[in-house]
Amino acid sequence: MTRSDNRSISVTLAAATCSLLGGGIPAPVDAQEEPAWDFNTSLLYYGEDDDRVKDYSVSAIARRMFVDDRFLTIGLTVDVLTGATPNGAIKQDVPQTFTRPSGDGAYTVAAGELPLDDTFKDTRAAFTVSWQQPVGETSLINIGASASREYDYTHIGLNAKFARDFNRRNTTLSAGIALSMDSLDPVGGAPTPLTPMLDVGDKSNRRGDEDKDVLDIVVGVTQVVSRNLIVQANYSYSNSDGYLTDPYKVLSLVDSTTGDTLPRVPAPGAEGPSHQFLFENRPDDRTKHSIYGQAKYYMNGKVLDASYRFMTDDWEIDSHTVDLRYRIPFGADRYFEPHLRFYTQTEAEFYMLSISDSQPLPSFASADYRLGDFDAITLGIKYGWKTRNDNEMSVRVEGYRQTGSIPGNQIIGNQATRDNYPDLNAIIVQLGYRF
Amino acid sequence: MKRTVGIAAVTTLLCAGCSSMGVEPWERDILAKDEMQLTTDEIEAATDDHIYFSKEASSGGRGFGGGGCGCN
Amino acid sequence: MGSPCELICEARKRADALELSALVAAEAWRIEDKFSRYLDDNIVARINSAAGRPVDVDEETAALLDFAVTLYDLSERRFDITSGVLRRIWRFDGGDQVPSRQSVEDMLSLVGWHRVDWRRPELQMPGGMEIDLGGIGKEYAVDRCAALLREQGGSPCLINFGGDLVATEPPLRRRRWKAAVEGDEPDVPNRIIDLKIGALATSGDARRFLLKDGVRYSHILDPRTGWPVPDAPRSITIAADTCVQAGMISTLGMLKGAQAENFLSTQGVVFWCRR
Repeated sequence: MTRSDNRSISVTLAAATCSLLGGGIPAPVDAQEEPAWDFNTSLLYYGEDDDRVKDYSVSAIARRMFVDDRFLTIGLTVDVLTGATPNGAIKQDVPQTFTRPSGDGAYTVAAGELPLDDTFKDTRAAFTVSWQQPVGETSLINIGASASREYDYTHIGLNAKFARDFNRRNTTLSAGIALSMDSLDPVGGAPTPLTPMLDVGDKSNRRGDEDKDVLDIVVGVTQVVSRNLIVQANYSYSNSDGYLTDPYKVLSLVDSTTGDTLPRVPAPGAEGPSHQFLFENRPDDRTKHSIYGQAKYYMNGKVLDASYRFMTDDWEIDSHTVDLRYRIPFGADRYFEPHLRFYTQTEAEFYMLSISDSQPLPSFASADYRLGDFDAITLGIKYGWKTRNDNEMSVRVEGYRQTGSIPGNQIIGNQATRDNYPDLNAIIVQLGYRF
Repeated sequence: MKRTVGIAAVTTLLCAGCSSMGVEPWERDILAKDEMQLTTDEIEAATDDHIYFSKEASSGGRGFGGGGCGCN
Repeated sequence: MGSPCELICEARKRADALELSALVAAEAWRIEDKFSRYLDDNIVARINSAAGRPVDVDEETAALLDFAVTLYDLSERRFDITSGVLRRIWRFDGGDQVPSRQSVEDMLSLVGWHRVDWRRPELQMPGGMEIDLGGIGKEYAVDRCAALLREQGGSPCLINFGGDLVATEPPLRRRRWKAAVEGDEPDVPNRIIDLKIGALATSGDARRFLLKDGVRYSHILDPRTGWPVPDAPRSITIAADTCVQAGMISTLGMLKGAQAENFLSTQGVVFWCRR
């Protein structure tokens, strides 16, 4: 049979079918093989106010599905960071000058301003890969690796997870482990802890690079409670070992009566700090325990996602996190999802606003606001919709606000007249596209 | 140490009550929906984990500890 | 129809879904009862026991016979509803019992639509011959049920009669209906097909074949020779507007043996062919 004869077969068949079935012509068929690849991509903007950190980020996750529920996942994220971050020194009523972390320059902060170090313009790339496959009828295993690089920090890690279903797949027990091996190569070299910030060009108290290893273990149970409700509970253990200090952060050395930072004069002909600052020091070990619980409840099309996490560690930090999301569909193609998150933490045992010159030098000290006593709230909304070609897009806008406080007994003299805790206000905008 | 034992005990109790709860395989229609998965959007979850890891002293919970960056 | 039949329905109320299932079940049973070769009091039984006498058939049977004639011509006599008697000597049970040349020769004298006198509405064929509508019946039933569901309107449904599918409308609660196509092993999916609307039919030999001396005999017999079509693909899946079209193109493809892919690529349908 020639090609043209072949073609006329389907035409004849269509006509014959029409006669056989009678009635109207049904809609044309729409069928295709399930695409082997699935993509999830996003653009993110994170911006703090007052000239502080801004982050622009692009992420993509690609998943390749193989028959029998096996899949390969590859992820790539690139972040570009700009802006300034508090360096740990307190505000003063006079200008303050600091040596840059590189040791090759200096910067001055105006009177009454929170000292911010704007040295960082950093680009970070992170890569993850993982393989998941079923094991027998009721279990699965997932193994993965991760790596990231920025100008002063390198990370490589391995992770594995095993999960098993019980009770007609209503209960799942899972256990996972992750190992990270990170190394830091701080600009200018890591400073010897609790030594003073020196003049520009003086690197005598700088050392080389440092390492840190982290071990994470998570065990959990997921339980289907009813047709509409599924819950999960996890316990996590995390241990970090190595260089846990922030090499760029200092504490102000203050007068024990006035609470003002002790002044300093740089060497003749040199630029340098105008006041006395000591580099911070954190322990070289940290163990954290967390418990986490989550519930997802379906009510007539709407979904409530509520979770709680409690964390405690051997730096004496305790934290509570409550996260609520409520997804409201509109028609078959769109939804809104408001989001509310509450967070509170207590300060680390060695967190202090400043170091008094009359006290003996502590072994560990940090004024990093992230180890302090604060509450945070996130309020946001997400809008998602299906595109013309059946893919999903979403946009979310969130506001994040941190407000901290310094315990009264840590405030010395004139410090009481100032607002010392560097409150944080940030906006998050994220655009997502899945196809 | 006491705290750790307490946490472990709570988790065990949660597991003990689980063995008879649940639904039949044909009742999993709602649970199968995308919006009922425990993590609905991987990138959003990873983004949040990363932001909060950088700005707070806690991390993880749902999965591994996040991190792998010089932010904290 | 020899296979599990199911209806998946996205209805607002349970009562609606039950009503639609009842409708589909009733139509499926009606067609089964009317055209099954296993019953002895339906039109097919009367035709097959007529022993050379003419039989008057109703409109629906006449339409199916006309359709069978079209397929007989389109396939160059490879699709032949009188070839059913060959099942008496060919049993595709995965074993190695291949019939002798002589028994096939003998049986061929009872096969061949050219021996049948079909003048609508009267059918007359020599005694001992039989018609078997199994090659069209299931797909026809699916399309008939789909038409009934479309008339009712409202709920998107997926009809699945043993792997012959029709989606009457795209589903509401997810992007597409998903159909898994078996691979070499029964019940192990080889491929997932996203079906939004339309029909999907598969011809394959996952379960029915013979294996002797390392040669695999597919259950697709060539009525002109009485032997299985050589080099038939292991499985063909077709997506088309109706289940009848999908089923017939996949059957025609199998009958083309080694030329299956060439043939299918000229038909303007989406197809998956596995060897």
